[in-house]
Amino acid sequence: MAASMDDFEPRVVLPGDSLMGHIPGELHGKMTLGPGLRQDETKIFSTKAGILKRKNPHTFWIDCHQKRYVPAKGDKVLGVVTQKAGDVFRVDIGGQSQAILSYLAFEGATKRNRPNVQVGDVVYAKLLVANRDMEPELVCIDSSGRSQGLGVVGSDGFMFRCTLGLVRRLLLKDCPMLKFLGEKISYEIAIGMNGRIWVRAKSIHTTIAVVTALTNCEFMSEDDMKKMLRKLVAAGFHDSRPKPN
Amino acid sequence: MTALSNLEEDFILKAIEESKRLDGRQPYDYRRTKIEFGVERGCCMVHMGDTRILAQVSCEVVEPKENRPNEGQLFVNLELSPMASTTFEAGRLSDYGIELNRLLERTVKDSRAVDVESLCIVAGEKVWKIRLDVHVLNHDGNILDSACIAALAALSHFRRPDVTVIGESVTIHSPQDRDPVPLNVHHIPVCVTFAFYHKGKRLLVDPTEKEEKVMEGTMVVGMNVHRELCTMQVTGSMLILKEQIIRCCQIGVVKVSELTELIKQALEKDKTARAEGKKFGFAESHPKKSITSKVIPEQTLDTSDVEDEVSRIMETAELPEQVSSKLEIKKPGLGQIGDGLTNSWLDDGDADEAEEEENGNSKEEDEMEGAIGSEDEDEEEEEEEEEKKMIVTKPKAKDKRKGKSKAYVSDSEEEETFTLDNADLDVIQGTKSQKLSEELDLTAALKKPSDKTKSRGNTRAKGGKKKWKKEQNIKDRP
Amino acid sequence: MTSNPENNSSVEIRPIGSLQSCISKPDGSAVFTQGDTSVMAAVYGPGDVKPNKALMDKATVTVTYKPKIGISGVREKALERMIRNTCETVLLTTLFPRSSVDIIVQEIQDAGALLACSINAACLAMINAGIPMKCTVAASCCMMGKDEELIMDPTKEQTKDAECVLTSAIDSSAHSLIASSMQGSCSVEQYHKLMSVCQKACDKVFEFYREAMERTLSKP
Repeated sequence: MAASMDDFEPRVVLPGDSLMGHIPGELHGKMTLGPGLRQDETKIFSTKAGILKRKNPHTFWIDCHQKRYVPAKGDKVLGVVTQKAGDVFRVDIGGQSQAILSYLAFEGATKRNRPNVQVGDVVYAKLLVANRDMEPELVCIDSSGRSQGLGVVGSDGFMFRCTLGLVRRLLLKDCPMLKFLGEKISYEIAIGMNGRIWVRAKSIHTTIAVVTALTNCEFMSEDDMKKMLRKLVAAGFHDSRPKPN
Repeated sequence: MTALSNLEEDFILKAIEESKRLDGRQPYDYRRTKIEFGVERGCCMVHMGDTRILAQVSCEVVEPKENRPNEGQLFVNLELSPMASTTFEAGRLSDYGIELNRLLERTVKDSRAVDVESLCIVAGEKVWKIRLDVHVLNHDGNILDSACIAALAALSHFRRPDVTVIGESVTIHSPQDRDPVPLNVHHIPVCVTFAFYHKGKRLLVDPTEKEEKVMEGTMVVGMNVHRELCTMQVTGSMLILKEQIIRCCQIGVVKVSELTELIKQALEKDKTARAEGKKFGFAESHPKKSITSKVIPEQTLDTSDVEDEVSRIMETAELPEQVSSKLEIKKPGLGQIGDGLTNSWLDDGDADEAEEEENGNSKEEDEMEGAIGSEDEDEEEEEEEEEKKMIVTKPKAKDKRKGKSKAYVSDSEEEETFTLDNADLDVIQGTKSQKLSEELDLTAALKKPSDKTKSRGNTRAKGGKKKWKKEQNIKDRP
Repeated sequence: MTSNPENNSSVEIRPIGSLQSCISKPDGSAVFTQGDTSVMAAVYGPGDVKPNKALMDKATVTVTYKPKIGISGVREKALERMIRNTCETVLLTTLFPRSSVDIIVQEIQDAGALLACSINAACLAMINAGIPMKCTVAASCCMMGKDEELIMDPTKEQTKDAECVLTSAIDSSAHSLIASSMQGSCSVEQYHKLMSVCQKACDKVFEFYREAMERTLSKP
């Protein structure tokens, strides 16, 4: 008797592993293959090492630890402007080539009214075009012309790099870490899918604390996170502490 | 590669102003430093935070320099491996690399940390040359300090073969005969790097890579535990007061004694591990409990079915054809080895049955180098062979092509084949006596390419002749 | 590590160890140890490539092999080429045109079977970096000594007396040969024997890869 699909357990796969061997039960109809899975004629195999996960009914993907970002359409990323060239900015998003951001892709920007963006600024933008054959393109507005939180990130705060796994974890619905932090410390955060996170808190002290907490929490369980937060509060990293001079 | 954004720069500078660092250290604190030794003598790996350095000492016997016949030689080489950062190129040493190299050399060599006179075997004839290779494996700031520690630890760890000189004869004992002898290390100079910010008003010890990117200048102080100054260098665009220099040296004294203590402890630990017969080396120092490390012990392979499998393979597989390598001289300047492929142009259906033996082919290509006068004929023969090759390899498009120009193996079945029959063969072979007018017909035929064949991947570097489908046109000729 | 010539039914391979993500800068890194031989590999990719080296339809794979002592010479170039051909075969290079995958291999300790260890380290580093691959690759080294004595995973001293030393790299999906390097001479039958023993050893290495990844990915 073949096991049913409900028996599927997330398991570790290596590159080259055929999906058929890992899925119990029969497969009917359409299957959605997420990142890390590839079809080769009749065979479906994994291209990365990670944990094979499934979402009902027939969506599979591989969760893997990766540092390098590969641009994907629709991702919101944090980029650093490296060059002003003609009508576009060249922005480094950590991928294989630099992305293009047009002058006009900002809210309220016209040919005469140029946005105030300097080389070295950090922008929070959305990927409009991202495939392997073309240079990625960014925009700071949505389809209706409004910025929706995108644009140049202020001159305060700190941006740090992390793994893509941490970013995905933080962007889950009801991420416990962000909530715990928010209970004790007030802070602003922008999370880029390219493994970059921008944080701003009231003082340098607190910002460094938030950055450290986020970097360390990737593999922690909820209890561990609570313990770490308590230690931070005990060390004085919360809002009621007077600003050190 | 990725430049620091203005945001990060401002933040780090503001934090330094408040005497705060990103990793929570105090301004004068070193990061966690770990020193490990390998199984080989003279092999040392240093971890300073995330910065990783590997050092290896080796020795050989050479002739001494003419102006110093009694001294051995010490050669220091620091390599910025492309592993450490995307900004480091393999081979070429950048300005930064040269600066580090020179500083390391000054600290280790010019301070006479190693006694070179004791490296002399026979004055004026044979001396030991000690070679120190330092590889930077990961760049997270402060390469110089860690390279210095690695160098001195490796030099103290190293053992050279023992030598006895009796009259004229020199015997170099192998490690099995006599225990190798340590180098004579007088003192351990250690470098301390200071980074300056805010017009020289703030300084940090042991900067990380991000802190190095925003610093204004740096000062290196090389010292040993006896408070002797070995090296000092100030680089960068800032002006510092002499009080700063004195303060740095005082901080340096404290730091140097801490680091020297670390080196000595590591050497002791390695010595006891070797003496007691316990396991030593890098493998031992891997954090075993970490989930990123995995070790499996020695295991045996079951090879009982190997014999059976081998005999099965020998029976079923075809042995490669024996190739005759006898040279036939056809005419002056034209030699042939092997028979080449069988002529498959005579029958249309023979393309699939063509043999795979290409040895004849490749040898005939060699004859091209020798041919002088009969170039046309040879070229045509070459074309023939190449065309034969094309016919042969097409049905098995996935085989690796041995063309002079390496092409990407294409699985496409789009390439068309064509065949020339016996009449065409005579025509081509008889061309050397043809008159120009007849040749013109051929070119006319070529101008009407009704079906072109694109020769992908098989264009020869010499000329790149394209093959046109001449079948119909040539048949029309009288 | 030797086999008894009379009872030629099993040979031993040295303890295998690995350490992943050992250095912070590269996208993927790993240290692979076989007995006392230890090699560290690091991978940067897919990343920027110089326009003169860019390939229009796939990624440019470059390998740099750094020996511990001395400067890179011809021997290192030969090793680089072997490792490069092996890695290029298993990587899905067509997914990243006009980009580069840089693999840097550093010798940490050489106690025999260096090429095999380097290929294994490179493969682990690529897995660690998460670059899409068709399958994994494992390499092993085997030698034939005097009296047709088969020695698996030999040390440096053992290879000095070898008639023939064979290193071969096998892929995980079809178990077919990707790369092979042989020194010395042997008969066709002996070659097949060495090859099948190498294949068995490579299977052990594949098992090791799986166990190592399961351990690394054990925390959610």
